[in-house]
Amino acid sequence: MEAATKPAEKTMQVRVKIWRYDSQTGDRALKEYELEAPEWVTLLDVLDLIKDQQDGTLAYRKSCRMMICGSCGMRMDGAAVLACKTRMYDIVQAGHVPVISAMGNLPIVKDLVVDMDPFWDKFKAMKPYLQPGYEEPTEGKEYLVSQERMNVIHKEALCINCGACVSECNAMESDPAFLGPQALAKGMRFVGDARDANTVERLEDYSGEHGIWECTRCYFCNERCPKGVDPRDAIAKLGAEAMKQGVDTDMGAKHARWFVKSAETTGWLRETELVPKTQGVISAISQMKFAMGLAVKGKVPPPIPPHVADRVDESRALRKLVKEQGRDGYAGIVQGERALARLEHEASGAHGGMGSLESADVTPGEEPTAGKAD
Amino acid sequence: MDAQHDVLVVGAGCAGMRAAIEAFDAGADVAMISKIHPTRSHSGAAEGGINAALGNASEDDPETHAFDTVKGSDYLGDQDAIEILCREAPGDVYQLENWGAVFSRTEDGRIAQRPFGAAGAPRTAYAADITGHVLVQVLYEQVVKRDILTYEEWFAWKLVVDDGRCQGVICWDLLNGGLKVVGAKTVILATGGAGRLYTGTTNAYSCTGDGMALALRAGVALKDMEMMQFHPTTLAPTGVLITEGCRGEGAYLLNSEGERFLKDYAPNAMELASRDVISRAEQTEIDQGRGIEGNVLLDLRHLGAEKILERLHGTRELSMVFMGIDPIHEPIPVRPGAHYHMGGVDTDAWGQTSLTGLYAAGEVACVSVHGANRLGGNALMETITFGKRSGRHAADWALANTTVTVPEGVVTDAERELKALLDRRDGERPWKIRDELAATMHENFGVFRREDQMQRQGQIVDGLRERYERVVVEDKGDVFNSDLTQALELGFLLELAEAMVVCGIARKESRGAHARPHDFPERDDENFLKHTLVTSVDGRPRLDWKPVTMTKWEPKERTY
Repeated sequence: MEAATKPAEKTMQVRVKIWRYDSQTGDRALKEYELEAPEWVTLLDVLDLIKDQQDGTLAYRKSCRMMICGSCGMRMDGAAVLACKTRMYDIVQAGHVPVISAMGNLPIVKDLVVDMDPFWDKFKAMKPYLQPGYEEPTEGKEYLVSQERMNVIHKEALCINCGACVSECNAMESDPAFLGPQALAKGMRFVGDARDANTVERLEDYSGEHGIWECTRCYFCNERCPKGVDPRDAIAKLGAEAMKQGVDTDMGAKHARWFVKSAETTGWLRETELVPKTQGVISAISQMKFAMGLAVKGKVPPPIPPHVADRVDESRALRKLVKEQGRDGYAGIVQGERALARLEHEASGAHGGMGSLESADVTPGEEPTAGKAD
Repeated sequence: MDAQHDVLVVGAGCAGMRAAIEAFDAGADVAMISKIHPTRSHSGAAEGGINAALGNASEDDPETHAFDTVKGSDYLGDQDAIEILCREAPGDVYQLENWGAVFSRTEDGRIAQRPFGAAGAPRTAYAADITGHVLVQVLYEQVVKRDILTYEEWFAWKLVVDDGRCQGVICWDLLNGGLKVVGAKTVILATGGAGRLYTGTTNAYSCTGDGMALALRAGVALKDMEMMQFHPTTLAPTGVLITEGCRGEGAYLLNSEGERFLKDYAPNAMELASRDVISRAEQTEIDQGRGIEGNVLLDLRHLGAEKILERLHGTRELSMVFMGIDPIHEPIPVRPGAHYHMGGVDTDAWGQTSLTGLYAAGEVACVSVHGANRLGGNALMETITFGKRSGRHAADWALANTTVTVPEGVVTDAERELKALLDRRDGERPWKIRDELAATMHENFGVFRREDQMQRQGQIVDGLRERYERVVVEDKGDVFNSDLTQALELGFLLELAEAMVVCGIARKESRGAHARPHDFPERDDENFLKHTLVTSVDGRPRLDWKPVTMTKWEPKERTY
């Protein structure tokens, strides 16, 4: 933050509140800081100025300050950001005082520093390294792979392991053992790699109890990823590929399978059959009382015998087309637009980055919810 | 001793991880120490690519690569080391691909290569504009596969030297606090550069020259420390990197009059001249009033949206976030910024230093393959090839030797020194010293150097070192005390600045990154075709010289 001391720079008064956490005493406190800073500063620059000039004990991670090392993931107004990507100008002009806190879903170590071990444990559980098959590269050189084929994992390869997606993952909040968006995106990076020969084995590994199908599809990971990885899309690709490869004994896969089957045979969704098809008959019977309750309240259609929709041919033709075009499996998941569209959006203001007020979608001042470090 | 290993790698970027992998595969018990998680390493910020004569985009061979590198180094590179690098580069790049590196591809499915500055062929293998990121990821994947132990967020503070051998490292555990002692038969320094010596730098906050300073304090020589490369395309105000890949793909550099000014400096190579030439040209344009608020313009518009989105996506993102400029529609203001230290710990082509058991690889080292000016794309290649070589040699040495001794006194001395620092309550906090150092280095030891400015900088650094003796660490806690580690880093930087100034003053010529237009505007092969060497004697730098190794290329005039 050397440049902040230079003269003749336009400056502004910045105010931020930071949730401090002292791991040695267990004390938490929301503290407010005010400082003069150049107009170009990012949230990371602001933290640096506070640490230098006001409180040397403030703890946060940082390194590259150019959105590639993934160190400075934290929350602003309750949603994950990269501090170095978050420009402060618009926030200050709006008179907003953002609340900065540690990322969610990970134990807090001190102030804005979280324990990343659970994050990396899940990363490692993915067997995150190429497992090539028996085919050797030609002449001891590179594997021949077309750019088009490489593009399948383009977005997953952008991941910088910052943890922003994990911080906001709703599924992980209810099941801390869920592999989560980052690890699964890393998994897709290998499932989609033409050079990797262990696709089926990987899909089986990733399909278990805390795997692919546990995602609640809230899209918070896509929304908060600072690099356009779109982890939810990666999870969708894994699910589609698992079904294509016949890795479909998981309840989630059966659930999805029934949607397809139902649409293909009768052209409408037979919800009453969804539970037995997904969870099995025994489990379905045990839920009968609950289902009856729903039926009484008009929440499920009456269990009339299935009819066939008038234009069922259209739904069957659609299914056929998907198969003919090879758009089943991960190839069927549309990708690439979101990341670029987001950049277009950011460019519309004079100042880019993550620091727009619209993106602050939670309650300012909310106390961080993650557990304490042991 | 808290732990002991055959091979201990300090730093876990491209060079460190490649060294650890090689040592592991050679059968050694290997561990890494890193003050940040391996994937956070600054190697990941390398954008443009990695040079190897694969010949995928046109005819090419290692000999041409070697000649380009020798010429680019302004003949200060050691030609034996350069030949090794260029010969081993293709195999090393294929290996990265075979491990899973997500390289961009040619139409026939091979690794894509693009033109880069001062290269006789399109030789720079790339992954869009995130090549370093892709390589860090693939190396970390291989580290995970081998389950190589990493002491994450441990800050290497001192080398253990006993019986004329390097036998371990004393660290501060950043996450939990406390000094930790790791013994090792061999130690490989792979801590990267020291760009934080400058205000405007492409380097991460973590690039504080730790390994160079550790070596210097252990009595090992640093070589060519005056050679700091200024990258021609960095963003104001802090120096965020815009890749040379932009110019490789055909971008123009324009002055305030809209001219491609390089026609006056490098009429043949134009925007693809070497970095030192272009940085000087830009600074001259700016100094003579043909800049725009201290910048020139990097114009990508004629490349078209499609190429920019596909191959320079990250560049566009950086430009939009930090400048609010979309390069599809507007040129990017850029200026020279401190980027890469050609100088570093003096090693041979196996990474060995003069201290038995101590190795260095990557930017921290000076083998020297870059001499007075590094070519774009050669840094990543150096990390891989010399990381591998030092890992192999260190493992072989460690497996042939058995004992490790860490004398008790070494540890108690370190504890006492740390306690004294933490107990100090009155004095100055380090950040002002850090800011003054960076600002004055930029002003007095930048793209162009003057005798009087370098002399003054020497005095300034002296004064800053005196003030540093009395700095106060405000955070007294154990957990994630970055206030402490940042103070220790500043100590490293100050000693390196002093070494650089001593070398800069002694080199009375202009060669590569060391440009003295006012008093010694020409290269002087008769007197200065040799490396500077600095060792620390009683805490003060002592200057020596070392001959350059020549094999087959006689120095010639260098034009582009």
